Amino acid sequence: MKFNFATILAGVLAATPLAAQSVDDFPTKAMTYIIPFNAGGESDVSARFQQSEWEAVTGQQVVIQYQPGAGGAQAWSQLNSLPGDGYTIMGINMPHTILQPLAGSVGYATEDLTPVHYFHYTPNAVIVRKESEFETLEQLIEYAKANPGMATFAGSGSNSANHLASVQLNDAADIVTTYVPFTGTGPSITAILGGQTTAGFNYATSGVSQGDEIRILAVASEERMPAFPDVPTFKELGYDIVGGAYRGVAVPDSTSEEMRQKISDIVSEINSQPAFVEKMEGGGFVLTDVGYADMDEFVAARTEEYTEGAKALGIIE
Amino acid sequence: MDVFGYLLNALTPFNLVLALVGVALGTVIGALPGLSATMAVAVLVPFTFTMDPAAGLIALGAIYTGAIYGGAYAAILVNTPGTPSAIATTFDGFPMAKRGDGGLAVSLATLASVSGGIVGAIALLLMAPPLAAVALAFGPTEYFWLAIFGLTLISALSVGNTMKGLIGACIGLFLSMVGVAVVGGDVRYTMDMQRFLAGVDLTSAIIGLYCIPVILDLVATRDPHLKPSETGGLRLAEGFGLAMKRKFNIIRSSIIGTVIGILPGAGGSIAGLVSYSEARRASDDPGSFGKGNPDGVVATEAANNATVGGGFIPTLVLGIPGTPPDAIILGALLVQGIKIGPTLFSNDAPVVYTFIWGLLIATVLMLPVGLLIGRYAYNSIIKVPKTLLAPTVALMTIIGSFAIHSNVEDAQLMVGLGVLAWILNRYGFQPSPIVLGLVLGSIAEQGFVQTWLIGNATQQLPGMFFNRPISIGIILAAVLTLAFPLWSEWKSRRRKQLEGSGSPLSDAGLNIPAAVKTRDVPSMVIAGLFILLGIWIYTLAGAMSPLGSVFPKTIAVALIGLSVVLIVQHLRRPAGEPGEGVAFDAGAKRRLALAAIMMGWVIFMPMLGFLVSSFIAFILIMLTANFEPRPPRTWAIWILAGAVICTGFWWLMANVLLLRMPIGLFF
Repeated sequence: MKFNFATILAGVLAATPLAAQSVDDFPTKAMTYIIPFNAGGESDVSARFQQSEWEAVTGQQVVIQYQPGAGGAQAWSQLNSLPGDGYTIMGINMPHTILQPLAGSVGYATEDLTPVHYFHYTPNAVIVRKESEFETLEQLIEYAKANPGMATFAGSGSNSANHLASVQLNDAADIVTTYVPFTGTGPSITAILGGQTTAGFNYATSGVSQGDEIRILAVASEERMPAFPDVPTFKELGYDIVGGAYRGVAVPDSTSEEMRQKISDIVSEINSQPAFVEKMEGGGFVLTDVGYADMDEFVAARTEEYTEGAKALGIIE
Repeated sequence: MDVFGYLLNALTPFNLVLALVGVALGTVIGALPGLSATMAVAVLVPFTFTMDPAAGLIALGAIYTGAIYGGAYAAILVNTPGTPSAIATTFDGFPMAKRGDGGLAVSLATLASVSGGIVGAIALLLMAPPLAAVALAFGPTEYFWLAIFGLTLISALSVGNTMKGLIGACIGLFLSMVGVAVVGGDVRYTMDMQRFLAGVDLTSAIIGLYCIPVILDLVATRDPHLKPSETGGLRLAEGFGLAMKRKFNIIRSSIIGTVIGILPGAGGSIAGLVSYSEARRASDDPGSFGKGNPDGVVATEAANNATVGGGFIPTLVLGIPGTPPDAIILGALLVQGIKIGPTLFSNDAPVVYTFIWGLLIATVLMLPVGLLIGRYAYNSIIKVPKTLLAPTVALMTIIGSFAIHSNVEDAQLMVGLGVLAWILNRYGFQPSPIVLGLVLGSIAEQGFVQTWLIGNATQQLPGMFFNRPISIGIILAAVLTLAFPLWSEWKSRRRKQLEGSGSPLSDAGLNIPAAVKTRDVPSMVIAGLFILLGIWIYTLAGAMSPLGSVFPKTIAVALIGLSVVLIVQHLRRPAGEPGEGVAFDAGAKRRLALAAIMMGWVIFMPMLGFLVSSFIAFILIMLTANFEPRPPRTWAIWILAGAVICTGFWWLMANVLLLRMPIGLFF
């Protein structure tokens, strides 16, 4: 990439020396931010929110590119072949990067990836459409108890955060429900709105965009969310379910330690911009601030949790 | 302010310039296979952050609608859909161009696209909230049947060759299953190769299946690529007359396009295929479809541009993007701080209505812009000598397949599938059924499995599949499409008999023997290979989750069954004349050389870098495609042109589209 810039700008120069750039000056040109999913999902939207603050924080722009495929695995399996100069970063998601390698050969292992910052998560939420007979989670659970298997939950994908949450709820409430995977949040919310399924496991972010058209019965956050002060958490209702999809920024493994820290700091600083916080929280995202220093511990804790989840999903023995 | 009041907001000079530039840019990008509307919109989104929201949206919407229209050029002129929406445009557009009516086809496509775009935009302007209900009425069952309806088009596309058409569809359906399954999460048929994890990329496959055979045939003979038109130009007046005669087709196709555009996940390609199928059914002369019937071009192009307006309906009303470009535009709106969803039309009415008027204006501007660009594109294809045309088209196929994911492996797949498609096509297995299977496979599979899950859980499985009003409607349409060719054949035979009954001499007419079909050994060999493929698919499905294995097993059984039937059919035919094998003539040598160059190009690209490998391949293909001795001066000019073309596209990709280019040894 460096190379292309040099050639084109001058038009004559064959190459400019890749002089060691000091981390302090970083970045001195536009950065590339690869999103391993299609546009329009939570990963894209949160990255676009970051993008609008990026120039103010770093002095340079960031270019967002999409590399969708195989639920993100296509991009993650290529992460380490990208240049490790700090100018190319990639979105990274959990539980995807833990469950995918457990489920099958996807071209990377969880420990191959180098996340430098996890900046937010979108809690799972049980959603019904406004016409639904269910007003509370208890009513839905009673229905499921009385009619084993008949309650259907739309969700985004197999072996996903939504899928995991539905298995956790089955377990915690001792019920049998049917999880119906869709190709993403959009199709899944369409199925809920259209009444194709009884309810849905989705991310709380959908609650913001759909407004009064849907009802959120419970969210899987630690505390009630600013965007939905009236919606109880699973914990309040007596089910120990906290989780959702965590999203962060990763770099190729050839990136230097200083650069990893630097990028982590940039993401951290964007996380504290008032305009960013307002957009994210208003949109139903829950900000986290897991920097590079705390990363190993964070990933280890999640790995343990999701490996348990993988057993519940039947992915591993 | 009422709806029409916002028209003035949209008519500011700045908005008009944005609409004009957007449409022109979109048309050019759409005309280049592989450079998609999604890509262009994604690159330009950051520039709209600083604009007024409505202006930014107008720019993005104009690019989007222009790109869907531009896809028709490549479809008509080189038989390669510039965007997947234009798949069905190739069916009749390219035959028209072949026989010298290319300019007319471009004119018709332009008129139809503008009309379709206007219908879609008006639906968005006046009826968006009620129409959004359509998106919600479509459940998994309806998507399943819609995909099946799309597949029934194969019976029409492969008249007289139904068995091979159905086998081709199975191959396409199989290709659609490769990769990580959304439903079930199984990793299927990747042969442990990482390149197949994300599946077979539709755009790469389309480019390979449609365009590589065209280039192979292009270099084989000295005939011009397209027959030059007798009158020249785009024949706009004639096109306008033809379009007026087809106003019912245009209106029907535009409505179909708008409605299918509203369905998230269906998109322009399905809209084009469905309205093509309907146009064929409504026609007095269905037999001429696929051979250059202008109705085919009109139907597809009206429908796919109508999906632009239609797709914005769920995007703006429900916050559910209808298509990938819609999704990016949705993200841009969120960044602007505009809340998408049911309250948008009341809370942010000035932005929404100004945008919709802007989209409408951009669609109208597409007429002059399109005709201008179309005239230029048509003339260049006609006038550029074959020696230069062949390598340029080849370069476009490589760029197109590479650019989607900045991945050389997609280009390798494209060339591989293309060569395979040429061989299969030679023995009667056409590419269109394969592409249909690939486009519709995942929709059919997901719809089927979801319906099955819900039906099973609620203990009303048959009702889920067969007893929903919309589903019944789609099933009926599918049955009609399937039965129609048989019925019309029967009718014409019957008519002949009735006419004949009055004349005593008629019996002789009925006894004319049909052209004897002889046994075709290569077809049997290919069918044999497909049986092996089917067995392999079935065996591997055994290790998958129940959800993930239903579809592969069904397809495997169908593939094996159809291939056995094909072999039996051929065994019952008389053996053909021996010695009619493949003549290894000069044309065959050129074809082989071209295939080898293309293969080498994509294999060595990661090592040599994009620019160097492309320039070398460009020159080699030039030599392959040249039929006459040329003075050194001509060669020098052409080589220089090659260098400029290669460098220009490289620069565009690396610095405007910001793709990650393979660097390799040189750059």
